[in-house]
Amino acid sequence: MLLRGLTWLILFQLLGTALNVLFFPILPGPIIGLLLLFIALIWRGEISDSLNSASMTLLNYLPLLLIPPAVGVMVYVDAIAADLWAIVGALVLSLVVSLGFTGWLMQKLIDRQTRRSNGT
Amino acid sequence: MNVLDYQAAWQAVIHHPLFGLGITLVVYQLAVAGYERTRSVLFQPVLFSMVVVIGVLLASGLAYDDYRDSVLPLTLLLGPATVALAVPLFLNLRRIRLLFWPIVLTLSIAGVFATLTGVLVAWLLGAEPLMLMTLAPKSVTSPIAMLVAEQIGGVAALAAVFVMITGVLGAILGPTLLRWLRVTHPAAQGMALGLTAHAVGTSRALQDSTESGAFAALAMSLMGVATAVILPLVVALIT
Repeated sequence: MLLRGLTWLILFQLLGTALNVLFFPILPGPIIGLLLLFIALIWRGEISDSLNSASMTLLNYLPLLLIPPAVGVMVYVDAIAADLWAIVGALVLSLVVSLGFTGWLMQKLIDRQTRRSNGT
Repeated sequence: MNVLDYQAAWQAVIHHPLFGLGITLVVYQLAVAGYERTRSVLFQPVLFSMVVVIGVLLASGLAYDDYRDSVLPLTLLLGPATVALAVPLFLNLRRIRLLFWPIVLTLSIAGVFATLTGVLVAWLLGAEPLMLMTLAPKSVTSPIAMLVAEQIGGVAALAAVFVMITGVLGAILGPTLLRWLRVTHPAAQGMALGLTAHAVGTSRALQDSTESGAFAALAMSLMGVATAVILPLVVALIT
């Protein structure tokens, strides 16, 4: 039952929103909801079919859901155009360096851990 | 009545509340179909749709505010979709436990690195302090980035733009770059995409495998929480 899973997701998001206003003004409601659902799943030790299928369906369309905020870039076209190359340069360069570094570091650490557990 | 009022019909269509949602759905499916056929980065769904939708809006003279009202159903689902990222995390709990120390080390070293390089490169290119503070949270998901940017003295709306550009760039360049650096483990690929390119990177990682997607979701949420808590403190200490 897809609807029941979706209902849980919405309830956790709303719970996150409440906690955001009450205690954690810096953390957005959905992120608090994510952490709470993760804790709840670990606590229960299993996941219902409805929550699983609702989540997977929704995540399948995640790129679609991200289009509206991406289109929002158009409002700042003038501001971006003024410093276009500095901004694009900074974003591209730092992204390439940090994304490459993150992947490389994680891969090295995983390899090292694998070697160790094979050695002992 | 032999002259049909095409102009009125056109205006009625583009000002209909479903117009924005309609073009978004059409363009997104074109992007997915194009991507499946060609595997070209030009059809990366978020990038392609963003460019085409902006083009359509400019051509039909519609403001972003009208568009935003029309796509509200999609925007509303983004919150529950973010919460849903807990599911791949949970399903891959065993793998995450197994790689606990690599995750903690990568998050703390590479997380600081990702934030610093953005600020450093922009500083070298001569950006103003206001711009630097806006760029600092560019690797984290936009609601967090906007709040953090505002708190440390940047521009919230512009921070969201940098976040989106970074995410789209990460989804386009990331997989090629990682292959090039021989980063083959799904966990390492996911960590890299989620830590530096937040939700857009995570949705790209989910295309590869749920394992990669789970690590991307993990990296995204931990990076978001860490940035939200630590960055304002660090900025307060050094300024």
